[in-house]
Formats: sequence, C-alpha cells, structure tokens
Amino acid sequence: MAKHQSSPEGASSQGANSPDANQTLEPFFVLHKAQPQATVGEKLSRSGKGRERGSKSSPKSPGKFKRTPSDEQSSGTLYEQWRLKAFNETWSKIESSIEGVLRDINLKLFNEVLQWVEESFSEIKSNVKLSSSEIQQPYPLVNDTLCRKIPTAFVLTKNAEFVDDIKTFCDLGMHLKSNRCHVANMSTLDFSIKYRVGGSIRSLLRQLHSEPLDIADVLTLAKWYCEGENYVKPIVVMIDDMERCNPDVLGNFITMLSEWVMKIPIFFIMGVATTVEAPRNLLPSNALQHLDPCMLTLGTPSDRMNALVESVLVRLCYNFSLGHKVTLFLRNYFLRHDGTITSFISALKLACSKHFSLESVSFLCLYLLDKDYELIFFSSLYNYLNIQCLFEVARYSKMQFLDIFCEATDPEMYSMSCSDSTSKKPIKCGAKNSSEMLSSGVGSIARAIHTIREMPVTALSNLLNTWNIHTEKMTEINGEVKKLQSLVTTNEGKVYDENLPNIRKRTISLLSGKGNSPNEKVAMLLDAMIRKYMKPTECMALHEIICFRDVDVLRSGLIGDSRKTIQLDLLKCQSYLSCSCCSSDAMSLSPSMHDTSIMYKLAQEYGDVINLYEWYQSFKNVLTSASQTPKKKRHLSPASKKAKTLPPSAIEALIQARFCEAVTELQITGLLRMPSKRRPDFVQRIAFGL
Amino acid sequence: MAPKRKNVEVEEEEVEAQDEEDEEEELAFSRNYFLAKEVGSSSGKRSAARKVSEINLVDEQLLRASLSEIPAKHEKEIGSLLESYKGLYSNWLFELRCGFGLLMYGFGSKKTLLEDFASSTLISYTVVVINGYLTSVNLKQVMTTIAEILWEHYKCKGKTSKKQHTQLPSGSKSIDEIITFIDDISDDCNCSVCLLIHDIDGPALRDPDSQQHLARVSCCSCICLVASIDHVNAPLLWDKKMVHTQFKWSCHHVPTFVPYKIEGLFNPLILSSSGHVQTTKTALVVLQSLTPNAQSVFRVLAEFQLANEKEEGMHVSELYNKCREQFLVSSQVTLNAHLTEFKDHKLVKMRRHSDGQDCLHIPLPSNALEKLLQDLA
Repeated sequence: MAKHQSSPEGASSQGANSPDANQTLEPFFVLHKAQPQATVGEKLSRSGKGRERGSKSSPKSPGKFKRTPSDEQSSGTLYEQWRLKAFNETWSKIESSIEGVLRDINLKLFNEVLQWVEESFSEIKSNVKLSSSEIQQPYPLVNDTLCRKIPTAFVLTKNAEFVDDIKTFCDLGMHLKSNRCHVANMSTLDFSIKYRVGGSIRSLLRQLHSEPLDIADVLTLAKWYCEGENYVKPIVVMIDDMERCNPDVLGNFITMLSEWVMKIPIFFIMGVATTVEAPRNLLPSNALQHLDPCMLTLGTPSDRMNALVESVLVRLCYNFSLGHKVTLFLRNYFLRHDGTITSFISALKLACSKHFSLESVSFLCLYLLDKDYELIFFSSLYNYLNIQCLFEVARYSKMQFLDIFCEATDPEMYSMSCSDSTSKKPIKCGAKNSSEMLSSGVGSIARAIHTIREMPVTALSNLLNTWNIHTEKMTEINGEVKKLQSLVTTNEGKVYDENLPNIRKRTISLLSGKGNSPNEKVAMLLDAMIRKYMKPTECMALHEIICFRDVDVLRSGLIGDSRKTIQLDLLKCQSYLSCSCCSSDAMSLSPSMHDTSIMYKLAQEYGDVINLYEWYQSFKNVLTSASQTPKKKRHLSPASKKAKTLPPSAIEALIQARFCEAVTELQITGLLRMPSKRRPDFVQRIAFGL
Repeated sequence: MAPKRKNVEVEEEEVEAQDEEDEEEELAFSRNYFLAKEVGSSSGKRSAARKVSEINLVDEQLLRASLSEIPAKHEKEIGSLLESYKGLYSNWLFELRCGFGLLMYGFGSKKTLLEDFASSTLISYTVVVINGYLTSVNLKQVMTTIAEILWEHYKCKGKTSKKQHTQLPSGSKSIDEIITFIDDISDDCNCSVCLLIHDIDGPALRDPDSQQHLARVSCCSCICLVASIDHVNAPLLWDKKMVHTQFKWSCHHVPTFVPYKIEGLFNPLILSSSGHVQTTKTALVVLQSLTPNAQSVFRVLAEFQLANEKEEGMHVSELYNKCREQFLVSSQVTLNAHLTEFKDHKLVKMRRHSDGQDCLHIPLPSNALEKLLQDLA
C-alpha cells in the first residue's frame, strides 16, 4: 500500500508484470481475512493503527499490528467507541418509537383484518367438515364456482410508492401470526413470469414449512395442513403490491388454490396502490370470479407523518434533535422527493449517524443524567408542550404538523418574536381567511392562531380540554387555560340557550366582541405562550450536543446526484486538483489540464452528435498549442519535453492514444455513446446541461 | 425556427414554477437541449461531414504501445487529493458500523482509494472484492465464497449453536438458496464480511437480477457493502425499496481523477482502424470462396456504389439489367441466388430507397470497398 500512497496511479497502471495484476483481472478475490479474536474495542484500535500504517500485506503478517498504540490514537478510538455507542443507543430508542407509532396507527386496520379472517374462517369451519384423508385427496373436484371463492381483502394503500407498504404488510403479518394464523408474506418477485406458478407455490410452502422442500405443489400444502396443530388455523397469503405482479401467474395461482378452498381455508390480503378498479383491470376474469372481495383502506402517508413528527421529532428525550435548516430540508425531501415514510426515516437515520460521526461533543449526551438534562435544556420541555398545543390546533384545521414544526425550529422567527414581545405586538396576518392566508404565504403558526379565531365553540372547548392535559406541568398557563375553559363552557351554554343554529353566525358574533370573545382570548393565550416558551433547540446553550445542523452534509449523503456531479467534476477539475499549472477559469482550455476534462469541455460546443474528426483536431490543437506559445514552455511536463525528441509519427500516435483513452473514460462515465454502424464518424452525447 | 419558438414556450411555462433554483436548472437544460438539437441536425445534414478515416490513423499496434506511454498529469495533486480522503476513513467506518452501505461516486478510478481504505481501515472485516468492471463476474461464485467464509466461522462456534442441521449448500444449489443460507447463519456468526464492489454498475452486474441478489445479500446482518459507481445513470438501477431498506446507501462524492486504466482495458479503442480492416478481410475470404460470376456481380454493385456515393443504393432491377448485359446472369432467379448468398454473409444489405423501391447497398466505407476490389482482383 505504501506504493499507493506515493503514487496514486500505481495500482491503476499496474501492468501484466505487476504482482497485483492477477487481482485486478480476477472477477473477485478475498483482499484479507478478519482478525478472528478482535473484540470491538480492539477492532477499532486496530483500524485506527491500520489507517496509519496501511499495508496490503497486513493479513499475512498480523504481527505488525501488535505494537502499543500511541496515547493520541487510543483516545481517538475511545471517542469513536463512545460516539458509536451514543448513536446505537439513540437510534435504537428512536427506531423503536417509530415502529411503535406506525404499528399503533395501523392497529385499527389490523384488527379489522383479523376480525374478518376469524369470522370467515369460523364460517367455513362450521359449513365444511372433512377428515384429513379427504383433505389430502385432489378428488372430487369442486366445479361449482359459487363454492370456489377465496375470501380476499383488497387493502387500498393510497400510496404511489409501495415501499412504505412493505413494512405495513410485514407488521400485519406479525399481528396475524400472533393471533393464531399461518401467514405467508409474498412479494411481486414470487409472481414473476420467469418461475411461473410453480415458483409462487414453492415460495408459499417455503414460508409455511420450516424445512426446505424438494417438491412444491398443492398436495404437499394439503399434507402439511393436516399435520398436528396446523389444522386449526387459517392460512393468510399476503401480497404487498398486487398490481406489480404478473397477472397471468397470479391468475393461475388463484385458480389453482380455489380448487382446494373447501379443504384448505386460504385467505388473500392484497395491497392495491391505485384504485378500487385495479384488480378488475389486472386479473383475468376466470381468476377474478374465484375471489370474494372485501375492501379496506390504509391511512394516508401524511397521517403517518403527523404521528411521526408528534412522537419522534418534537421530543428531545432521544438526545437528538434537528436544526431548522435540516428540518426544512427533510420536509422538502418528504414532500417533493417521493412522499414515503421509509425514505424519511432513512434520511433521519443518516442525519443521526452524521451527527454522531461529525460532531465532536455529540457523545456527551451519553453522560447527561436526567437532572443535567433538565437543567441544560430546561426550556425544551415547555417548548415541547407548547408545540403540542399548536399541534392540537393543527389537528383541527388539518394542517401538516411538519410545517408547524419547521416554523417552530426557525431561530429567525424566535429572535423576531423576542423583539416583538417587548412591543407586545401580536403575531398578525393581514389576510382575512385561511385560503387567502395560504396564497399570501402567511406562516403556519400564524394560520393556526387565526384558526382559533374562527373556531366554533364546541371545537374550542375540546381544544381547551386537550390543552389542559398538555399544560399540566406549566402551572401558570394551566391556570389560564382553566379560566378560559370555564368561560367557554358558560358561553357554550348561552349559545345553546339562545338556540342559534348557524355556527358561522355565532363565530361572527363572538368575533365582533374583539378582545372580549373567548376565541380571541384563546388565540391571545396561544400567542403569548409562543412568545414566552417557544425556543428552538438551536437557540439553547450547548445545543451542539444534541442538535444536528449540517444540512449540506446530509444532502450530499442522501442525494448523491452522480449525474450532475460527474459532469461538474470534469468541467471544474481545477477546483479539486488545485494545481498551479492550469487556469482557474472554468471555460478556458490549457494543455496541462486533465485529458478527459479537455475533451468534455470541447464536447460542450457540439450538439447531440460529435464529429470524431473535428473533435480530434480540436483536441490535438489544444495539446499542441503549448509548444507554439513560448511563455508556457516553462510549464511543460517532463513527458512533453521528452515528446519533443520523439519522431512526428510517435507524437501523433501519443495524441491519438490520449484521445482514445479520454473517449473510453467518457464512455465509462456514460456521458458518451460509441459510434453506431450507421454513423461511424460520430459519437453521441448523452447528458445535456447539469 | 420551430425549436426556438418551442424554447420560448418552455421558458414561459417555467417562469411560473415556484422553486427558482429548479427553474433555472431546468431552463438551462431545455435551452441546452434545443441548442443541441439545432446544432446536431445542422451538422448531421452537412453533406461534407469529415470522416474518421481522414485522420492520419496510426497502426493499432503502435497506438496500443503509445497507450502505456501516456504521460501522467497532476500526479502530485492527485496524490494529495487521495491523501485528503484518508482523513475521512474513520467517518466511513463509522457509517458502516451504523448499518449504512457506502456508495462512492465522482470522476476517476476509485479502485486504489477503496482498496486502500479496505486494507488500512477494515482490518476487523473479511474483505471480498468484486471487480464489477469485468464481464466475467459470476455472482454465484462470489456468494459461494462468502458462504464458505461464514461457514468456517460458524463451524468453530457451531458446537454451541442450535441449528445443528444447517449445512453448507453445495454447488448445485441456486444463488437464492445460497443467499438464504448466508442470511440464516449470519446472526450466529461473529465474523463480519465487507463486500467491496468496484463498479456496481459494471457490465456484468447491470441486470436487475444481479442487483436484486446484491440487495438481498446486503441485508444480511454480518455483511456490509462498499461500492463505487461511475456511470451517470447508475442510480436508475435501484428502486426505493433497494435504496432505503436494503442497500441503505450513504453517498460520498470522492472524485479522484485517477485514469480508468483497468476499467477501460477491454473497451475498444475509438481510433483503431481494426474494425474496417476486419470486415474487409472477412468479406474478401467470403468472396474468394464464391464462383467468378458471383464475384463479378458483387463487383458490378461495388463499382456502382463507388461511382454514386451519394445514392442510397442500387435498384435490384438496375443491377439485373447490368449483369444481364455482361452475361453474368441469365435470369432473375440466378441473380436472387447470388444476392441471397451475399445477404447471408452480410456483404450486402437491402434498403428501402426514398422512391419506395428496394435497393442494395454494401455496408463498407468507400476506401475499404476500393481496397476490397483491388484485393479481389
């Protein structure tokens, strides 16, 4: 490896006579084996040392690593261990909380499904009573289509992306399994044209049977079903995204199982991403007639997102929180990228790992006792309760929690409200109603406050009830809430007494009282709470320990925009290499630049096809221009000095070789397509613009 | 001017877009696109497009010899660039331990960098390297090797393990079964394997099946993945499930500017004249094995093509008349027999002429065709 350090091109220019040549041309090889006895601590210290020594021969001579590590290194690795520990603890807490939230939100549906399975199963069991030998016989065939119906639940996922539903279906499977069902979770890959229906049956059996089977057919399934305890449970077959399955294979699978439905009680649960019509459009009619459908609906991604924000992002008890810019980025990533919870969670995890890997004091959170925590982040609790109160308003007006959370973490907003609070100006918005506000770009918090002003009395009293619970620990506010509660209740009584049917009218009448109406008072209270207690984590002292703010690192780690960056690398290679020989101007060309970079810059001048002859000539001109300008002679590399002594044919050959190599590199990066037989003199450009 | 008008329309549409940054980018894209189409079509139509053969091409052997003599540029700067990445090794290791896969992108060969990272930092892992740039990669063999490595560790620990019936899958098992085996024993294994894949978007791994297999194996608890991509469209290989729940990529931009020497080793050289030489040689061999009459028919067609380079091809009836005049064929049937022979050996191609009739064309450039006729004589 020492060779690699001194000459970075060493390995790549290994010729046939280099010792590593075999490895570079082997399809695969084992670079080195792990040190078997290494514990985690040792592993880390070794890796730290290894980094410095860096030797390919290390696996053959493990003794090299037995030196005592220096103090600095050992402390470095100790920090790494702490950080890793901190990450593991934090993320496992967050992860289990996320799982809990997602399970809870789906629990209603899961119970619905379970009830449906249990009811249908008991119905089948009460109607048909067969002995185990009868079950295992394929005959007599069931010809009556009415009897050959498989109970099927189509779960509308309302999700264009299926990735979230995989997790939901997994959870559903677990739920059913723990409630006395046999469950087979089948994916679209099990219904591919490649393996046909045999592959589907095999996959089904593999999941039900604990041991691998040689023969996979329905008879084996029947035999298995008669064994021991299996007989008392229904078999639930789940297909997470039925629309992506091959319709013929799925159709055959359904028809085949329908013949046995009286003997083996099978239930289908199929995820449908688009519309109710999808199964009818997809499946062949002879398969469709064997299904006995039932429709169920899953919650929307935004509901799930709200639940996540409420229970994970807002809480500081996980020793990890997000800065405003990161929150904003994650919000946009969720809304504009793909709208899936899965990608949001993986982004959150990456943010968490980047925080613990890059922030030097992050590991301190491990050593924060609850007491210290309260002391340092005293205001965080009030902040949390405050946001919860805001969320209650958002829940009523169906606003996204993430929007409110984004605003609540904005340090600018905080400093503004701080300066405002001295002048006691309420958070105002010029617009009159909520739709106007949306279009005029009024912030979510201001909108939430405005919602309270328009709230009917019943909703207001419900809101105050929830606030009462949230503000229990904030004695001062809690007293205010209680006062308002009693005010609203008396008002509510009045309204009912007067028997006014029109809520809108009532609101207007309340509003006309200006500062005296209960709505206005509640709004003022929320306004005051926000001013007094809402403090973004970023504005607290020592927030570095728990707050991740580096949005650029997260963006580049998450969205590796390789298409754009590879082009930028080529167009701005000087900024990476920071050499003195090339001009820093992005568009100028000099012979000392990277060959491929010269070629790619030249290619920018062409259309979607590049004439090879012209391209070659301009490349040659760039390379030979140096020798004509006497000033640049000093910058010539030793190789080009040598080139002067070469005969012209050799110089020409060298330029052609460089041209070929650059074209090959552009081809590897996919920026170029090689000439077709029809147009042998042109190559095709693939990427236009960044 | 139509494209320009279109361009204006696109511009107008995009002014309304909310995100200004995106808008600018898209605008630049569409502008570039239409510009490219305009320039492209004009250069395409230009009748006197210069040919590769006009370059004074050197002999292929000399070209290949010169390839190894290309002077290295910016050696020092590339060295310090690679050195600067060494500071990130510990962060990369941290992310691997957090359960992410590392995806390295940026211009330049990342082979040296990644192998240096593996051999210096991943000491506690068994590192298996796949050279994805080679077409000969066989994933099943790789999986079998990994299964064997894990099996060795498992056996040492196996006496206390519950799964006594587990056995190393034989070579006859499918790749799916081997991956299932790896997944089964990976929880009981105290050994970590790092799969280092150079060019996970390489020619042998580009198919969906291979990517599915890699995604499945990357989920196993004892396996972590470090991979590099070079192709601009590489991210299109994966769907959301693979990216977020299986590979769990953490992307790192590491341009190295190291030449792609090994990665491009098997790519044909664009300026090697061997392509035409090869076809001319084979054409000659085929023609020499045919009857003199057949050769003469070919010569008639070739001479016509050389004399009328701008023509799309020669009409079959015209060829028949000419051949009849020279007593080369006596009937349409004999001519057709010759033509079938030519077509079978790809000496001649049938084309639809712009006037609607079928015409014949020899798919060789003029200079190659001239040489062929000389050799044939």
